Amino acid sequence: MHLLPKFDFYEPDSMAEACKVLAETKTEGKIIAGGTDIMVNMKKGLLSPKYLVSLAKIPGVSSIEPITGGIVIGPNLIVAKLIEFDLMRKKFNLLSKAASVLGSPLIRNRATIGGNIVTARPAADLPPPLMAMGARVVLMRKGKERELPLDDFFVGPGQTKIKPTEILVKIIVDDPPPFTGWDYVKLMHRNALEIAIVAVAVRITLDSPDGIIKDARVILSAVAAKAIHAVSAEKILIGEKPTAKLFARAASLASTDCTPITDIRGGAEYRCAMVETLTNRALSAALLQIKSK
Amino acid sequence: MKKIITLKVNNKEYEVAVAPNRTLTQVLREDLNLPGTKCGCDMGDCGACTVILDDRPVNSCLVLAVQAHNREITTIEGVADGPNLHPIQQAFVEHGAVQCGFCTPGMVLSAKSLLEKNMDPTEHEIREALSGNLCRCTGYQKIVEAVKSASQTMKK
Amino acid sequence: MKEYAIINSRLPKVDAWAKVTGDARYTDDLTMPNMLYGALLQSPLAHAKIKRIDTSKAEKLPGVKDVVTAKEAGLVKYGVSPARYDETIFCDQKVRYIGDEIAAVAAVDLETALEAVSLIEVEYEELPLLLDPFEARKEGAIAIHDDFPNNICAEVHQEFGNVEEALKTCDYIRTDKFVNKKQDGAFLEPQSCIATYDLNGNLTLTSSTQTVHYVQRTVAMVLGLPIGKVRVTKPCVGGGFGPKASANTIELVASLLSMRTGRPVKMTFTREQVFQHSRARHQFFHELTTGVMKDGTLIALKNVCHMDGGAYSSFGIATVYYGGSLLGAPYKLPNMKYDGYRMYTNKPANGAQRGHGGVIARAAWEQQLDVIAEELGMDPLELRLKNMMKKGDVTCNDFNMSSFGMEECLEAIRDGSGWKEKKGKLPKGKGIGVACGFFVSGAGFPIYRSETFHSTAMIKLSEDGGTINLYTAAADIGQGSDTVLTMMAAEAIGVRYEDVRVSSGDTDFGVDLGAYSSRQTLMSGHAVKQAGEDVRNQVLEVLSRNLKIPVEDMDIKQGLIIFKKGKVDFSGLRSQYIKEHRGWVDAPSGDELTFKEAARVAYFEKGVVVGRGSYKPGDLGGKYKGAAVGTSPAYGCSAQVVEVSVDMDTGKITIDNMTDAHDCGFAINRTNVEGQMQGSLSMGVGEALYEEIKFDAKGRVVNPTFGEYRIPTALDMPNVNAIIIESNEPNGPWGAKEVGEGAIMPTIPAILNAIYDATGIRVRELPVTSERLFMAMKEKNKK
Ligand SMILES: Cc1cc2nc3c(=O)[nH]c(=O)nc-3n(C[C@H](O)[C@H](O)[C@H](O)COP(=O)(O)OP(=O)(O)OC[C@H]3O[C@@H](n4cnc5c(N)ncnc54)[C@H](O)[C@@H]3O)c2cc1C
Ligand code: FES
Ligand code: FES
Repeated sequence: MHLLPKFDFYEPDSMAEACKVLAETKTEGKIIAGGTDIMVNMKKGLLSPKYLVSLAKIPGVSSIEPITGGIVIGPNLIVAKLIEFDLMRKKFNLLSKAASVLGSPLIRNRATIGGNIVTARPAADLPPPLMAMGARVVLMRKGKERELPLDDFFVGPGQTKIKPTEILVKIIVDDPPPFTGWDYVKLMHRNALEIAIVAVAVRITLDSPDGIIKDARVILSAVAAKAIHAVSAEKILIGEKPTAKLFARAASLASTDCTPITDIRGGAEYRCAMVETLTNRALSAALLQIKSK
Repeated sequence: MKKIITLKVNNKEYEVAVAPNRTLTQVLREDLNLPGTKCGCDMGDCGACTVILDDRPVNSCLVLAVQAHNREITTIEGVADGPNLHPIQQAFVEHGAVQCGFCTPGMVLSAKSLLEKNMDPTEHEIREALSGNLCRCTGYQKIVEAVKSASQTMKK
Repeated sequence: MKEYAIINSRLPKVDAWAKVTGDARYTDDLTMPNMLYGALLQSPLAHAKIKRIDTSKAEKLPGVKDVVTAKEAGLVKYGVSPARYDETIFCDQKVRYIGDEIAAVAAVDLETALEAVSLIEVEYEELPLLLDPFEARKEGAIAIHDDFPNNICAEVHQEFGNVEEALKTCDYIRTDKFVNKKQDGAFLEPQSCIATYDLNGNLTLTSSTQTVHYVQRTVAMVLGLPIGKVRVTKPCVGGGFGPKASANTIELVASLLSMRTGRPVKMTFTREQVFQHSRARHQFFHELTTGVMKDGTLIALKNVCHMDGGAYSSFGIATVYYGGSLLGAPYKLPNMKYDGYRMYTNKPANGAQRGHGGVIARAAWEQQLDVIAEELGMDPLELRLKNMMKKGDVTCNDFNMSSFGMEECLEAIRDGSGWKEKKGKLPKGKGIGVACGFFVSGAGFPIYRSETFHSTAMIKLSEDGGTINLYTAAADIGQGSDTVLTMMAAEAIGVRYEDVRVSSGDTDFGVDLGAYSSRQTLMSGHAVKQAGEDVRNQVLEVLSRNLKIPVEDMDIKQGLIIFKKGKVDFSGLRSQYIKEHRGWVDAPSGDELTFKEAARVAYFEKGVVVGRGSYKPGDLGGKYKGAAVGTSPAYGCSAQVVEVSVDMDTGKITIDNMTDAHDCGFAINRTNVEGQMQGSLSMGVGEALYEEIKFDAKGRVVNPTFGEYRIPTALDMPNVNAIIIESNEPNGPWGAKEVGEGAIMPTIPAILNAIYDATGIRVRELPVTSERLFMAMKEKNKK
């Protein structure tokens, strides 16, 4: 048994109270959501916050609310619900697909979307689809909110723009425009309980069912210090008619957009090659989705 | 500082004083004397510590006991009805789904959760539902067969 | 075939009920009044001199009851085989791997014990690191153990026939290299133990072990206790697969701490400590040269093997022998030469794991045979059939195949898998592969030189005659020996399964060498069968005197006495029994005399009715050096066909189908046999595709978790078509022999051969990750 270091535990029942508690802990406090990241790190001795603050009792932190033009997701929503909710499966199935390959059913019943974002693992499963969907995050400190595109949120492994006493309170995702298709492809050693070797999230929007690509996002995961846009791939996609040849070129460019390292899960060269394969597959699947609608 | 919490385990309420840094696994095993919940890795990787927390199977080694305050918990000790085995347990016995048994409590609980939501799962759905529970002994086949057979029994 | 009442069936396991309800108790589930918790201080450096240890701060911490180092523990050397005792409880002068034990603390709770450990100060002087076994061998390399200046822990040189001469006659010869990575047993229950020393000088050690007997001997020797004063017992054990088959550090430390404090002491490994303690599969570097004739006849094999042993010997002496001897079968092979070397390195010690020493050699060779078949234009399955040994054949290294259903296995998988329809006809990206293997059914000799029995059994009847108590020291670690032995006892006596109550895994119950080398069904089984027959005869003899009926005219079946020559008046016995048990619910009734009543009569005559059994193998072949490793009373064998799909653009492999036939001699419990086959195959899948302990440049294990040391999940294993072959082993009880380890032998090579069939790539390094396969395919496409 690995013992957890000692800490005090708070479970405030409003966001204002949470902000206050967190502010009082100075930088010695941390939010605990599902605990699937922070507890592992604490057991390994990598982290030992003096205070843990849970948001679980705060109304609305675990909900999905439709709003005009999109949805608002509470940070404490567990990953399993991203798969279970009809709305998610029907309209935001890109996120459902990524959620369904995160960890294991047991992990998905605890792990939260907020935790997955703030923990900022370069291979985390939810940021790539969220970035592909253009998600924004709302952060709160001392009762004040600020909104940030998720694109700008990540800094590096474990590092984000969130301040130590700031809380992620909402994730906003816009409805997909018409003629949009997307896909998330994750390459794993095993078929469950795996952090990605490489993962790619792709979204393309056409201007008409048989038209040209109006908007394209290609997000690469586990091949840089954080999830990144395959900028040159996105560039050549936009304004073109979607063809297998174009996708192949974009995929090949994507593999030049990444800067993977060799680590315990895979080598840099392999990862680059996989970016190409997965990007190509994801683009084809995205197009197929548009065509089959 | 210790906190007084209420845990509703297997339909029984327990009031316990726990330090915040104790996991649900520890409190179940050590404070409530329910050692059927196992600890195989303590890191969320194996599922030996699976319990059902408000209708969802979770890794109890990654749950703080204080987070389970006032919530319903089912451990392996609460699955059988007295001396009468649950159909899943009965099927595990009959199908040879148990070898060393260390994964068994977690497997049974994951399977129970599955069958409560999905009465007639396919083989793939069963494997998916058990994919957070590692077993080194059986190769999973007899476990999957047991769950399949239990689902048939339970439908009747 | 003879009909049996109990055996050869699919009875549920005796421990299944307790295990599905959570009632089963494993070591860490137990506590004792007044119990202390122990914790270890382990080396953070892989190779260093210990300059100074200061435990004073730890001793002063409130709640700490004892702190021990080598000074207190002494320096008695131990290990697995007496030829290489190279461990002491704690390091004295130097540490040899990250995790090497330096000190321990006993305290009132684990938190205090761990805090005390963190207060112990150790000053080290770093020494050069040796992580590569080939570097370790080099002239001038620093010695990890002073007694072994060139770091060669053990070497073996064997030749049977004349390989060089034989190779000259061959039509075709090829040499291939093969390497795996250090592996882990990955049993789900971390090692745990509780030691209790009482004021009478008795030590009771409850431990998660495969071998109570060896642990008892080691603990007694190292701590200077009379063997008889040490009792080792195991509750349920959550898997072992080899690494739990010898005494471990915490067993010794907890015992020492309990002796010094007079209180029970519990110690449990964390998962990371399990990885550090290791004692699992070695890393092997094989170079195999095989010579054949044009028609596929095998002529000669030259096998050179280097093994990364890690910091201590553990099982290594046996491993280095097995790395050669386990290629002696299942094919007729007249000439075989083996040179094996095991090197010390500054890594966790490697030891034994399912298929001890033979799994990687087998993977290497079976893949090479596939290449040879292709070169000769033969079907690989036909090549195997052509060379297959038969019952009664003796290998060049003197293994006697007293039963051998290998041909039946091959035919069964050929027909069961649709081999003929599939081989050579699958599309690119799909492949099918075949391989064979065999394994000992119990080591022919104990680990220490001795005339000891390998297994004893005692069966004692309750005074009412209704319960048959079976006592054995055999260890059920999940494989089901309690069930199999219970079934055997019931069969031997003629009673019902539920009438037998088994107590096992305790040195107080007798001698049993334990759960390793796939020995218990055969060896413990023999002892139990004998004990059962003994009891049966005793009861029948008393009954015979009492009823004046010859023993031969009676039988016992399903708990009833059968009078072969017609009805017998036993009303006297019955009314006496009923009279004595007035008020009890289980009064005998019906037309037949029950075993219970008969046993009661035996009780009246004898007071104690005990049946005894003991077993050791008879004379086994082999007079050469090292013959003790590999000779066995019997050999199990198996053949497998595996089908895979390969994602050609990522290299990811999916195992689609597995067909496995195993000759276990005779299946005592058919469900258990299948369970062993399926479990072995899943371990093989893990080792083939994922499993690898990785180290950083400092010798630290970087993946000591189940997240990064990957064993298959339910989504990675296909269903296995498990076919049981029964060849009726003359040296086994009711013809039974092993299945627990042999079944893993063909798995890795069958997968490798299927991968080749799918991709045209021969992978000679394990594990075959998607990356390794993809890069190999890329390399090949370049050419
Ligand atoms: C066995 C296992 C398998 C896993 N597999 C995967 C996988 O496949 N893919 C994957 O992406 N991840 C995986 N993870 C990692 C982890 O489960 C996810 O990252 C998860 O989403 C984290 O959510 P959580 O609620 O558990 O976070 P916590 O551990 O509770 O928190 C994580 C971090 O986020 C901070 N935080 C949480 N909520 C907020 C908030 N509202 N405001 C500010 N800060 C906050 C915490 O302070 C902490 O630093 C795995 C973990 C385990 C143990
Ligand atoms: S003990 Fe909790 S997942 Fe392994
Ligand atoms: S039965 Fe042993 S781990 Fe599953």
